[in-house]
Amino acid sequence: MGGKRKMFIYGGIIGLIAAILMKMGNPGNMGICVACFYRDIAGAVGLHRAEVVQYIRPEIIGFIFGAFIISIVKRDFKSRGGSSTLIRFFLGFFLVIGALVFLGCPLRMILRLANGDLNAIIGLVGYLVGIFIGIQFLKKGYTLGRSIEQNKISGYIVPTMAVVLLIFLVIKPAFIFFSTEGPGSMKAPVILSLVLGMVVGAVLQRSRICTAGGFRDAMLIKDYHFLWGIIGIFIVNLIANLILNFDSFHIGFADQPVAHSNHLWNFLSMTLAGLCSVLLGGCPVRQTILASEGDTDAGVTILGVIVGAAFSHNFDLASSPKGATPNGKIAVIIGIVFVLILAYGIIKNNNKIKSQNKEVIKNA
Amino acid sequence: MEDFYCVITFHVTQHALIFEKTLIDKGLDVKLMPVPRQVSSSCGTAAKVSCNKKSEIIQLCKDKNIPVDSFHRVENPKGNNWFLKHLKK
Repeated sequence: MGGKRKMFIYGGIIGLIAAILMKMGNPGNMGICVACFYRDIAGAVGLHRAEVVQYIRPEIIGFIFGAFIISIVKRDFKSRGGSSTLIRFFLGFFLVIGALVFLGCPLRMILRLANGDLNAIIGLVGYLVGIFIGIQFLKKGYTLGRSIEQNKISGYIVPTMAVVLLIFLVIKPAFIFFSTEGPGSMKAPVILSLVLGMVVGAVLQRSRICTAGGFRDAMLIKDYHFLWGIIGIFIVNLIANLILNFDSFHIGFADQPVAHSNHLWNFLSMTLAGLCSVLLGGCPVRQTILASEGDTDAGVTILGVIVGAAFSHNFDLASSPKGATPNGKIAVIIGIVFVLILAYGIIKNNNKIKSQNKEVIKNA
Repeated sequence: MEDFYCVITFHVTQHALIFEKTLIDKGLDVKLMPVPRQVSSSCGTAAKVSCNKKSEIIQLCKDKNIPVDSFHRVENPKGNNWFLKHLKK
């Protein structure tokens, strides 16, 4: 079986599960949304107090368990880290700010498109532009540096976090917030979300599908291996929506669930998300999988995502179906400028180190 | 399809691009691709090269000062994936 077909099937499983989760109660076009789900978790533990988006999403716990277990079984699990950890935290931070101004992570963008939400096309174009800009930095020598092996125990911290979240979800202590209305109250049954989340986590760990990586490779090295995974997500989700969620399927810009039609800000917010994803080497869902297989840098990245999501609601940056907020627009601009300066600084410093190294060789 | 192929991995994407250009200039076969699953669970960029040119390529990288990570010989999977096997049934 060719690699393309395999990737298509892997992606298709994710697309199918997303449609099932939406059918079973998750918010509209949000069968899976990594940014939204981390935002809900941030709210559930009280990091922000937006009452309509607070819930410990079992899907995220499932992603982590699924990827963790299969990486242990397949011997991919390796504790590693130390590659520009603080920079990754802030790239994750701004990535989620972009995603929440658009109203969805790159994965949800594809799912929104597969249910007829044309605003997602604007987001997709912005995302591609962000990736294209990121690639220019890669070509000029951008790197966050290699990670090194870490003490084994550090790799178990993220899976442990998932266990703690699961305990909170089940016993619901008084300090945990669960929405009683709004998107946070719309949820598929816990067991179903958890189990299907684990399947998604395992599939993503085996396939290494990444929304940013797929487009990056297509543009940078003309390799379409990962892109087939994204195509699989889109096509199977589209078909599954037509069968399972036909009532909610409609093509257009207006009246789409948890979405707005500020084209400029849909575009720019996803430009920021695309840029951050390429510079991180993976979109939020990929970061979650890496964090589950021992990558502590990715673990810090998802902490950046959670903190960024909390700030998004505390500072009124996240959009609502009414549109982007003034604060959100400012934050997107600041994010783009910040990330561009960061990437430029990294390249400049890397090239300086490289020329110094050459000197050493010459003198020797 | 052959039973195996060889890849070179890099720490920095830019090095992969420079490597590709250098080999093309020398008239050697090279194709950039995602790091094969068998080599790593990461998703960076690797270069597929012909295995019997290994020493020539490594020498070239030394001469041109292109930092490479490692050289791998990758066996093509022979449909032994339990998951896909179940799907095919």
